[in-house]
Amino acid sequence: MSKDSASTPIPTPTPSPMTKERSFSLDAWALIVAMLLALAVKFDVFKNVPW
Amino acid sequence: MASSISLPRAESTNPLLNALRIVPGVLLLAGIGYAGKILEHSVNAYAKSRHWAFPNIEYVLWAILIGLVISNTLAIPKLFQPGIATYEFWLKLGIVLLGARFVVADVLKLGGISLGLVFIEIALSLALMTLLGRLFKLKPKLTSLLAIGSAVCGVSAIIAAKGAIDADDEDSSFAIAAILALGALSLFTFPAIAHGLHMNDVSYGMWAGLGVDNTAEAVAAGALYSDAAGKVAVLAKTTRNAMIGFVVLAYALYWAGKGQAETVTNKAAFLWKKFPKFVLGFLLMSLLVGFHVFSKGQVTSLGNLSKWAFLLTFAGVGLRTNLRDMSKQGLRPFIVGALGEVLIACLTLGLVISANRIWGL
Repeated sequence: MSKDSASTPIPTPTPSPMTKERSFSLDAWALIVAMLLALAVKFDVFKNVPW
Repeated sequence: MASSISLPRAESTNPLLNALRIVPGVLLLAGIGYAGKILEHSVNAYAKSRHWAFPNIEYVLWAILIGLVISNTLAIPKLFQPGIATYEFWLKLGIVLLGARFVVADVLKLGGISLGLVFIEIALSLALMTLLGRLFKLKPKLTSLLAIGSAVCGVSAIIAAKGAIDADDEDSSFAIAAILALGALSLFTFPAIAHGLHMNDVSYGMWAGLGVDNTAEAVAAGALYSDAAGKVAVLAKTTRNAMIGFVVLAYALYWAGKGQAETVTNKAAFLWKKFPKFVLGFLLMSLLVGFHVFSKGQVTSLGNLSKWAFLLTFAGVGLRTNLRDMSKQGLRPFIVGALGEVLIACLTLGLVISANRIWGL
């Protein structure tokens, strides 16, 4: 084993952002925005939304 | 389902700056989704004008395909990443708003049937994946993650379980990659099989909701068949998602009993923490429509807003599917996942066909 390879630290896997539990606060955002949109539709701020 | 979502997490102390960070990616999602919508109309109109027998390719498939091509051929600049990661937010927003298109009676009838089928599906999936994991000598916690991911709701369930059973990041990445790769495959196989079997919209939607693991892919697989099938797929998948807390709690208790995870002290708080709250929003919206809070035109508007939200989701599904990254994750977890998924797809298909014969879906 060369000196260089001996001194090189063994790479450890970098934790992917996908493996972090962070999706659950999204529910609150989705609920708030959905309710705001529902209010906007109810009070005709958004009228006849096309598709 | 979950990914590196930047929207609710403050990366900077300035909220305006955080909001601005997602703008380029959201515009990209909207651009791809809208291009899919334009392609659907223009390709179909062109084929019709030339009297070609061309299959109707929905905007869902176009949006996913454009996203797939971009993410697998170009290096997407970092500038777009925070906005692309919001695709899960659009998915949840779309599901809550879709509640407006469900009559409460339908939710109770179809939800009741799907709840029964979900219990059977979860039991079969957990047993099958555990057996395959042992046969292929996978690490026990990786087997647990694959079992939870395939039984409940894909990536979200794996992420929820990771902390609860104290699994490695590496195991979680393997399980997520396997579930995502198989979810991408199901987008093309599920509709093709259903067309071959001449399944009706409700039966197919139920099958997509039960058989496809990740919520975004399950919704897309349903919408690829028809609008009605997409609605039922959302209902069945949402029912399945609601079970996440119970399954993760069971695994947390199992691993804590072995001394390899933290003990769960307050089970009710644990269940509430893991429960997907957007399911409540979906039910609330359906109830509001049931109590005639909205006029018929307003219900149509809410349904259309839901479709716009899903449009961004489908573009995100294509953009975050990187085939090169998935191929790096190793073969054994993928084989176990693939074998399990094929068997679960067959079993859930059998369940849905039986339910159709008994209850007439």
